[in-house]
Amino acid sequence: MGYYDLDDILADSAEIPCKFLHDIPGLGYLENNPGGTIHVNTQLKLPLWLARVLAIIDASSASDDVGNADIFNTEQQFTPFLNMLTPETFTNKVINAIKTDPISLDLHSINPYFYALAIKWIELFSDKDLAEIVSDLLLQRSQVINAHANSTTISYNNNSNSTSSTGNNNTTNNNHALFTLTLDEFEKKIYKEANDSYKDIKKWIYQY
Amino acid sequence: MSLPKKLQDTFSPKELQFMVENEPIKIFPRFTTRQRINKHSDDILDLYSNRWKMITMPDTALNNMVAMQSTTVTLWIALLLKQQNKCNIIAPEWLTCKALDRAIQFEQNNTRRFSPLPWDWLILSEILFKKAPDDFHDPIHELRSRIQDLREIRQLKVAKGIKYMNESHLQLDNLSILEINELRPFISGIMDKLKEIHLAAVGPEIEGDKEENDGEEIFNGTLRNDSSRQSL
Repeated sequence: MGYYDLDDILADSAEIPCKFLHDIPGLGYLENNPGGTIHVNTQLKLPLWLARVLAIIDASSASDDVGNADIFNTEQQFTPFLNMLTPETFTNKVINAIKTDPISLDLHSINPYFYALAIKWIELFSDKDLAEIVSDLLLQRSQVINAHANSTTISYNNNSNSTSSTGNNNTTNNNHALFTLTLDEFEKKIYKEANDSYKDIKKWIYQY
Repeated sequence: MSLPKKLQDTFSPKELQFMVENEPIKIFPRFTTRQRINKHSDDILDLYSNRWKMITMPDTALNNMVAMQSTTVTLWIALLLKQQNKCNIIAPEWLTCKALDRAIQFEQNNTRRFSPLPWDWLILSEILFKKAPDDFHDPIHELRSRIQDLREIRQLKVAKGIKYMNESHLQLDNLSILEINELRPFISGIMDKLKEIHLAAVGPEIEGDKEENDGEEIFNGTLRNDSSRQSL
């Protein structure tokens, strides 16, 4: 979550559909209309880092000095530049897919930074329901990740029986490769760390 | 630090082995180091000339060994003496076929608990199997297969327990250091993420409340602060 966390930056570039609440002159280039005006109720996809700021800042007080203390007093007339709509990642269709079968779900194709994005989204909207769904998803998938990470075989005799066991090894490796393709980037990291740890200990026991 | 992240976060099996080698173990020495103090002896220097001096640990046990009388020394010294054929290592009580069978029985009867083996059972048994295979009363392949069984049963239980993970705490009673170490990257990673998700849903709300209460209702604010401190 640090400033230099690349995954965090990449998750921030996820596209969020937004609805503008004001006419904004000169911003038309965002919808292939250079020099034009973006009108009220235009729907556009903006990256999260931009949409978040525009959805939080009060458009009416934007002309005043920034950091006014009476932001809380003017809460009645609070209107941001735009409203964020639910992105594809969290549409009902995807949520239902998560609920029905969390394990065989191809999370990577939904969003490679699913968890990072989900956390940002939950934080923005204090969405406890989504938090519950996502943590349940992580728990369910973590069991499979652990099983896969633990089931790798290490070859401590590199030369002796490489020819006889290649066929067998290939199928298991293939399974693992296919499995890792469906993992979110965070899950991949965990899988790799867990796998390394299991492998280290297996190696130590064989050597010893 | 320039250490790889893996070594910063957790221990390598070799580091654990190093720690375990500092544990005490009982041995039968085959030679005597205890010296009879001869009051009529002229030179005291002679008395201390062939004594062992340890910088990092007490050396009384080493200098008071009597052949075939059991003494307790540190494991690495025991292994060193064993290598030179100067002692027999006494296998700990839990490392017998009978005791291991009992432990396996316990594991099978209690699906939600682990049998109370020592914290270093996996490492110690591997070390002793390798370095002192002739010091066991039971045949070593039977001991080995029982240790392997125990490990597999316990690993299966851990895998089953993963679905009870949550963002706040985890109970790992009776799991040995190697088993915990093996799980550490996985469990801490997943639990950190669960915590992040949990805090994302709950955290901002609390902060927002505090900001709103600032200056308006001091009484309420202090109450809230107290309760939050208690929960910490």
